[in-house]
Amino acid sequence: MSTSSVSKGCFVFKPSAKKKKRTLTLEDYFADGCEDAENSETRFKLCQDLWDKIKTDTEVLQDELNRKILDSLLDFTRKCSSTHQHSNWASQMRASEIPTAALVLGVNVPDHDMTFQSLSDLLQQSVTPHVVSVQAKECGALKHLMKRVLERMMGTVVAVDDEEEEEPEQLSAQLHKRVHCSLGTLCDWYNTKTRKSNTGTPGKKRSSAVRDEQQQPPVVIIFKDLEAFNSKVLQDFILICSRYIERLPLMFIFGIATSPSTIQHMLPHSVSSLLCIELFQSLSCTQHLATVIDKFILTPQFPFKLSSKVMQVLISIFLYHDFSVKNFIKGVQLALLEHFHSQPLSVLCCKKKEALLNVMQLSHSNLERIRQLLSFKRYVEKQDPQEQDSLLKDDTHLKEVCQKLIKGLHKYHKNYYPILRCLHTLTSSLPRYPLGKQIRELHLICLEKNVWENEDYQSAMKLLKMLAKDELIILLQRCAEILEPVKSKKMNSALVQLNELLTRFKELDTAAAAETAPNVEECITSPVKNLQKKTDLFQLQKTLLEMNESRRSKKLSPFEVLRNEVLEFIDSLVKSHLSPPDSQTLNEVSYYSSSATVRRHINATPRTSIQAALSSPYYYLQNDSLKTEDGSVSNAAPDICIAYKLHLECGRLINLYDWLEAYATVVSAAEGNSPDSDNFGKVDEVKHARFIRAVSELEFLGFIKSTKQKTDHVARLTWGGC
Amino acid sequence: MALLQHPGYEEEKLQRVAEQLPCREVQAGTLLALMGQPQQYSYPSIFIYGHRASGKSHVMNVLLKELELPHATVSCVECVSVALLFEQVLLSFFGCDAASLLPRSPSLSDFVRIYREQCSQSPARQTRYIVMEKAEILRDTDANLLPALLRLQELVEDNVTVILLSEIVWDTFRPNTGCFEPLLLNFPDYSKGELQQILSQDRHPSYSAEFYSSYINILLGVFYSVCRDLRELRHLAALNFSKFCEPLADGKVKETDTHKLWRNIEPHLKKAMQTVYLREVSSLQWEQIQQMEEKEAGVLRGLSAHTHVELPYYSKFLLIAAYLASYNPARTDKRFFLKHHGKIRKTNFLKKNEKTSNHLLGPKPFPLDRLLAIFYSVVDSRVAPTASIFSQISSLVTLQLLTQVSHDDQLDTPKYKCAVSLDFICAISRTVSFDIMKYLYDFL
Amino acid sequence: MSKRKVQNDHMPSGECVTQLQTILRKRLCHQQLPEKLEGVEAQHKHLLELLKQTAIHGESNSVLIIGPRGAGKTTLLKCVLRHLLEEKEVQKNLLQVHLNGLLQTDDRIALKEITRQLNLENVVGDKVFGSFAENLAFLLEALKKGDRSSSRPVLFVLDEFDLFAHHKNQTLLYNLFDVSQSAQAPIAVVGVTCRLDVLELLEKRVKSRFSHRQIHLLSSLTFAQYLERVRAQLSLLDDFPETKFAQNWNAGIETLCEDKSVKEVLQRHYNSSKDFRSVHMLLMSCLSRVSVAKPAIKPVDLLEASRLCLADAKANMLHGLSILELCLIIAMKHLNDIYEGEPFNLQMVHNEFKKFLQRKSNSMYNFDQPVVMKAFEHLQQLELIRPVDGSSAKTQREYQLMRLMLDHSQIMEALQKYPQCPTDVQQWAMSAFG
Repeated sequence: MSTSSVSKGCFVFKPSAKKKKRTLTLEDYFADGCEDAENSETRFKLCQDLWDKIKTDTEVLQDELNRKILDSLLDFTRKCSSTHQHSNWASQMRASEIPTAALVLGVNVPDHDMTFQSLSDLLQQSVTPHVVSVQAKECGALKHLMKRVLERMMGTVVAVDDEEEEEPEQLSAQLHKRVHCSLGTLCDWYNTKTRKSNTGTPGKKRSSAVRDEQQQPPVVIIFKDLEAFNSKVLQDFILICSRYIERLPLMFIFGIATSPSTIQHMLPHSVSSLLCIELFQSLSCTQHLATVIDKFILTPQFPFKLSSKVMQVLISIFLYHDFSVKNFIKGVQLALLEHFHSQPLSVLCCKKKEALLNVMQLSHSNLERIRQLLSFKRYVEKQDPQEQDSLLKDDTHLKEVCQKLIKGLHKYHKNYYPILRCLHTLTSSLPRYPLGKQIRELHLICLEKNVWENEDYQSAMKLLKMLAKDELIILLQRCAEILEPVKSKKMNSALVQLNELLTRFKELDTAAAAETAPNVEECITSPVKNLQKKTDLFQLQKTLLEMNESRRSKKLSPFEVLRNEVLEFIDSLVKSHLSPPDSQTLNEVSYYSSSATVRRHINATPRTSIQAALSSPYYYLQNDSLKTEDGSVSNAAPDICIAYKLHLECGRLINLYDWLEAYATVVSAAEGNSPDSDNFGKVDEVKHARFIRAVSELEFLGFIKSTKQKTDHVARLTWGGC
Repeated sequence: MALLQHPGYEEEKLQRVAEQLPCREVQAGTLLALMGQPQQYSYPSIFIYGHRASGKSHVMNVLLKELELPHATVSCVECVSVALLFEQVLLSFFGCDAASLLPRSPSLSDFVRIYREQCSQSPARQTRYIVMEKAEILRDTDANLLPALLRLQELVEDNVTVILLSEIVWDTFRPNTGCFEPLLLNFPDYSKGELQQILSQDRHPSYSAEFYSSYINILLGVFYSVCRDLRELRHLAALNFSKFCEPLADGKVKETDTHKLWRNIEPHLKKAMQTVYLREVSSLQWEQIQQMEEKEAGVLRGLSAHTHVELPYYSKFLLIAAYLASYNPARTDKRFFLKHHGKIRKTNFLKKNEKTSNHLLGPKPFPLDRLLAIFYSVVDSRVAPTASIFSQISSLVTLQLLTQVSHDDQLDTPKYKCAVSLDFICAISRTVSFDIMKYLYDFL
Repeated sequence: MSKRKVQNDHMPSGECVTQLQTILRKRLCHQQLPEKLEGVEAQHKHLLELLKQTAIHGESNSVLIIGPRGAGKTTLLKCVLRHLLEEKEVQKNLLQVHLNGLLQTDDRIALKEITRQLNLENVVGDKVFGSFAENLAFLLEALKKGDRSSSRPVLFVLDEFDLFAHHKNQTLLYNLFDVSQSAQAPIAVVGVTCRLDVLELLEKRVKSRFSHRQIHLLSSLTFAQYLERVRAQLSLLDDFPETKFAQNWNAGIETLCEDKSVKEVLQRHYNSSKDFRSVHMLLMSCLSRVSVAKPAIKPVDLLEASRLCLADAKANMLHGLSILELCLIIAMKHLNDIYEGEPFNLQMVHNEFKKFLQRKSNSMYNFDQPVVMKAFEHLQQLELIRPVDGSSAKTQREYQLMRLMLDHSQIMEALQKYPQCPTDVQQWAMSAFG
């Protein structure tokens, strides 16, 4: 599958990291070359557990996300199979059409497999035993497609590779005697299958009779990637199927990556008129990602955290390159591995209890590492001198402190996420989304630096100050709901406060009934209302200003007073809980921050690295004789580098002989024979051989290729360059 | 039924045939005359051509079935390999044991040999008929097949007649060294009246015949100018009838009040032309919609209505770049994408003498590097040429948003075309707030 | 049964017609051999001599019978064989192998077929042979053994000879001719082909071994002979049980052939091709009109039949198009006129069509793109238009370049025939400019 997705471009699978599989050597893989071997097992184990948890959870998540669409699909199949049987006037008229479900899954092709898997499973459980799924790459020609369908339907296994052989029907013939790959065969097979229950007379006409007697399960064929199919093959196949539709209750499911209109593009009307197409839209991958992040990132359950940089990288890869959630999770996995592999202190990155134990297990060297931690240093500086002293000297003391700090870290996480959600609920409905529409954006901001110093935050607060009462109340209630389940003192107290604020709003209501609040209110609410509508920054500023004017001008109504109070309360919560993680001591334990590694692994730039290697070999070989200032390559460089450098100076077509000459001069210069010596730059066998090798290496790397235009020339395949 | 009487066949059989072939008595008659009496020889090969759903296969099948003549009907689409064809013929003439004599991947000579052997054992008392539907596909199989089939009678020395059915005229079949010419027979299309008559036959049981035929009349009024395919029309008739009956059900009008009915159904049919007729909307949906009130029916969107595709950010720009590359002349790139393109004036770079716009001619192929050059100049941030950028291109190809025109050798600077419509690209560029119109040569 | 009929001389006319049909159909559909061939006596004699030499004197020979399709090559050969086999020792000596280029598509198959026809399968059994030559030699050897006195002559008839020339380095031909040259076993190779340039197809080494005997059958009938043959083909012979009926019939045929209009029709066919099989088709469709009710062929039948035969198929298809499709065709015609037959795509055609619609006020024809597209596809399906490059899947359909497979006259003719074709469309078609 990995190969396929390479060909499928941006949806690249990395061959799944070895460390994931549970084999004996695995741990050794992990252990070797990783910092501080002694506690590597524990780290390995932690890593394993975390990953397994993530993996299982994602699968569950996938399923419940697909649940809805799959169910509707199932209904469709049932309906079709039923309409295929009962015979009212109209449906008889329609009988010739093949029911077809167009399943739009979005361009994140790698994620599809799981969906299809669960789909076919569900179908097999609940609707029909006869489900086949085919991929484009295994159906180059009509006969191949036929063969696939027949084999999988009738459960005949073909061991050999099937792309090479000429006559597929031969093969199936070998398997069970003289079966041609025609749908007729399938029909007969199906009839015998369905007849099993009740005894009918064999033969083709019988099937219709059977249909009246007993319910027939449809025969479902799933085309996983419609776009990739050869349209001619598809057309012929559909034509054939339509000839059998009244004998064989066929049904198609098209997996579509782009949009349903591709069906119309691929199939001429004469063919599409044979289908009865129903549309099914799966939820967009961005939503999917949102849920995934919500479940794995924005929760204290997982002790392992990503720093803002890494998050940035992963999310940008998702948004800019592929929409594949699968790859996103792979990225997380990579980060996880890297973290536990490279950071010895990651032993402390686990559930609170274990962490506290592990602290006690810490070796001296690891304690030293702790002392080196930036955050810890910062912490130490804050302490009074002899405390500092003991922290730096006394290991046992340090351990106790560490325990305290770890506790602190966990508490921090416990409070961080609820507050984050609260803030998001408050701000996400504001016009122009000052703090972002998605919670992940807000999260990133908070990871960066103190959110409250962010001017977007300020403007958000301003806008909140203009909210009408009913809106505000709704939002606050939502916040309360968020805080409800959290078990932590701070949060509970916060919840209490929030609730009483809410109640005061209520009272205010009753009070306001007496006095003439409403006009005040509406004159305040209205700007926000029309702010919602017009989304123009200048406008926004203007209104903000005039609001301030109005506020200054007249005395605050009790509602406004209360509102400000609420907002200050929120603000205080934010200030106390949403401080960025790197302000926390020992955050390095659970935060993975080297974004460079992740980028290098997931979003590699092979071209640039090859070119770098060729143009400045020192960078890789670390050989001082190669060290050169300015882009020039020293003539001591490997042959291929020299050849490469020279070829950069040529045009689209390179004359091999000139190239050789130039190469010879450079090399002989390297050999140090003087420019005026007669055999300077002369081409001897050795040079020639070396040159040939260099050139062929370049060809292998795809920089040049032989051309038909001129015999003694090669074509250059890179453009620009130099 | 004076047309269908022929010595050698029983009256009532012919009677039954005639009943099953409305408006095709003439053709059936000529065919029957050609076939002659069962034991007589018939012309070695007959080629019947006519539009789709002009009753070619139907007439053939009814004749052969009802008159119980030995025949094999083969649809050439199904014959992914000639072996299938041979097998089916032998099977229906001589039974399955004969068919099982065929070796694996049999040659024509094998087929003829076995046929000869078999028919020497059981010589034909009646003419045997081989009917080949969609015969045009035979042209794509190996070159000898068609000529051999045409003169099969003399090859197997048996009283056999091969009947080819096709929508395509015979001239395109003739191999360049010529062959035995079959007897050509044309099935003309049904006239409007005939269509009317035929369609009126499958009327809804619970309504009177003339009511239904008046409905058919209206239907033809709308669709006849576009489509004369009986199957299509029948399909449409079936789908829209319930709508036609609605006012009756409500008791607003009587069956006789054709004009009112017409005013009721006419716009509906017009709508059907854009939806069901094009299979934009499946027949199932269409029926459901008819159940609904008018206002909900408004929300109905065809397949091509959903063109929106969610793409990764860079893919969008790649697509835009591809579109520009394939609809703009290469010489104009300078003008569009150089920040300060010297003194290239609109006037002198717009060529007046270009008679047709590029959007009439369609996309032109362009090399990869041009695509990338444009891409880097339209995309706002600077992008590292990572593997995923390049792979996105190929993934766009698999999604058929781009098409690769040149051969698949990746090294040899591949050429691409953009395969999306203007509306599509506009929608895409709107999402990334890129005003593509400003960059399109045609719209300057 | 005809025996009985001869005795009591009045058989119901139904029977007669049936008999008539049976006899004539044998002639027209089954290439029943005529009693004697007219016009080709020379060739007949020549070939007969050749074969006799092989069959009787055991001399090897090779000859090509060349002539256009339907010129009666096979008939000639069959007649000669019939003559040949009348002689006793020929009958018991001569072996025949009939190969057909259509069937034996490569030499392996051909060899299998030869083995079978010489029924030597059991002799060969499952021997493996180094080369083709060995194998063939072995076969001929086996024949010799089969009859120890002298090796029996073998006649190889290669129908569709030219196709054998396409086999991989012409092994079969080479070996056959080689054998026929070197006096291993007496064989005669008779090739039958319609390609006059067949010798150019042969490789040098093959050609050199071929005795360049060719029998050309360039049917050089005068119209009189042609007419005579038609008469002969149709008229009954004396052995027809019901003489009276036969006389009437033949008389009918006589008058038919005298008829002026009939002559014209036949003249036209004669001019188009002297190939006699095409006239079979004509006569067949006449014959099919003969029934008990009308036991004779009337001139009108012939006229009707010829009309059917000469009808332009494409025009027939055009007749069945919908108005919209017809309009598209006309638009294409105009495009062809404007751009001198440059290929076009749907966009252009639709554009042209729109222009026409703009010119006229009532807009009963302006359908939206998809509907037009569907019509366009239908035309493509009927191959009235063909894509320039085969790969249709690659490009978007509306931009696929197409060529019109019809010419001016066909379109015009179709327009004349078209049922209630609206006048404005007709005018549009007539109009020179787009």
